[in-house]
Amino acid sequence: MALIEIKNLTYTYPGVSKPSIHDVSIKIEKGEFVLITGPSGCGKTTLCRCFNGLVPHFYQGEIKGEITVAGINTLDHHTYEMAKHVGLVFQNPENQLFALSIEKDVAFGLENVGVSREEMRKKVDWALHQTGIYDIRERSPHEISGGQQQRVAIASVLAMEPDIIVLDEPTSFLDPLSAEKIFDVIYKLNKEQGITVVLVEHRLDLTAKYTNHLIVMDQGAVRLEGDPRDVLSNEETRLIGVGIPKATLLYQMLKKEDYSLGNKTPLGSEELADQILETLK
Amino acid sequence: MSVFDGLKFRKANSIIHNLDPRIKFVYVIGVFIAALLFLQIIPLLALFVLQLPFVFLARVQRQWLRSLRGAAFLASFIFLINIATNFFGGGYTLTPSDIEGAAALTLRFVVLVESFSVFFLTTSPDHLGLALEQSRVPYEFAFAFTTAVRFVPVLAEETQTIMDAQKTRGLELEKGNVLKRIRNYIPILIPLIVSAIRRSLELAEAMESRAWGACKRRTNLYTLRLHKGDYVLLGITVVILAGAIYAHYFVTIPTIVNLL
Repeated sequence: MALIEIKNLTYTYPGVSKPSIHDVSIKIEKGEFVLITGPSGCGKTTLCRCFNGLVPHFYQGEIKGEITVAGINTLDHHTYEMAKHVGLVFQNPENQLFALSIEKDVAFGLENVGVSREEMRKKVDWALHQTGIYDIRERSPHEISGGQQQRVAIASVLAMEPDIIVLDEPTSFLDPLSAEKIFDVIYKLNKEQGITVVLVEHRLDLTAKYTNHLIVMDQGAVRLEGDPRDVLSNEETRLIGVGIPKATLLYQMLKKEDYSLGNKTPLGSEELADQILETLK
Repeated sequence: MSVFDGLKFRKANSIIHNLDPRIKFVYVIGVFIAALLFLQIIPLLALFVLQLPFVFLARVQRQWLRSLRGAAFLASFIFLINIATNFFGGGYTLTPSDIEGAAALTLRFVVLVESFSVFFLTTSPDHLGLALEQSRVPYEFAFAFTTAVRFVPVLAEETQTIMDAQKTRGLELEKGNVLKRIRNYIPILIPLIVSAIRRSLELAEAMESRAWGACKRRTNLYTLRLHKGDYVLLGITVVILAGAIYAHYFVTIPTIVNLL
């Protein structure tokens, strides 16, 4: 069975007439690196909130359909029960850190579920090392940069050892270099720890190369889904307003003029560079 | 923002900083009670001097002096009021012992300010929150306290941004009479409140996602444990209190006027 399975999900926020998500069905397997993209207001954030039960438990509203995450039906289980399985990282790093020191923040979730102190210490240190912030663990959140704050947020969900980490535009407040560092951390967790990653992003230039499952949403519905090379080659993806990676665009432009660089659509500049070198030889 | 500077705790390490906040608080209360027992200058002076080693051990002299300077206005007010009531109530004469009594009352106030300021200057909000938690204060309150402290610099920065934004749109803050000036701050306050509410919603969402309220018995990454220094401080408190009570009941304390 898939790790996340959503069937015909339709959800409307309270006090709104139009549903934010309309008839969405998705399957996400264990170990995948899923990238969800689409124009603003297409329902990506709402979908993220469905994964750990914030929708409908925190937001109320009207929901139809089925969601099963790690074998649990989120519609009848409260968000705090889902916290052990799904870690959610939000857009604004500042508003998800509440303690006065970083390690205390990372321990917050573990404290809530009542983990013993020795075990907590181990898990916290592990999460701090994984995200590369062990050295600043005693600082206070307002003393560190936005990129570091976002890594703290990742560490704090990582300490719970979830099956899935969902990140809702984690880099929109960050500069490109810090953003790249965040993606590196996430990719490492996916590869080395086998944690399933669901990443919502606009910056496909930086992220397309990591993913093996791309979902394009528009107006509350899933429009395209599948292998990123296929989805990004599709004309419809561009028309929806997805920012196609420059490497992929260049490949397509050359292909139109009958300069073929092989059969594989590149997702990043490294891949494209290799293909060009290959052809030039 | 200078207004919020006083609320920021500077991280420091010293013997005094590392003491258990609960014991420090017991000490402050001990000094408080001892100060209330006396109305003579000599024991109050002794209490005042007794705290000085703490200030120097914690290396917070500068901030400590600043907090005393802050209390100077109220202290002189207490002194003058006492002098005035003695003068008008005592048939328009002023004896040296009247002045000494007023000075003693003022000194008592200064001792109280002194001990509380040492406590707050040497106790990190983190420690204070932890002490609240371990003193069986409901976790919600302790959490609200530390989170409030956490967001002071954030809100200060935001206030500055909103002020700058409104000023670029032509808002003049320092114009008009008092009432007008207060009204000038409305365009600052409303966006600030709106964004604080929005922020609190996001915070609530993040807390939910990290298993807030998952079990009744929450654990904690840190614990406060009593060390040698804490027992020493507890001992000092007991000695001060016992000495003060003994002196209060069994020793006739000379006044300076008598001594002269």
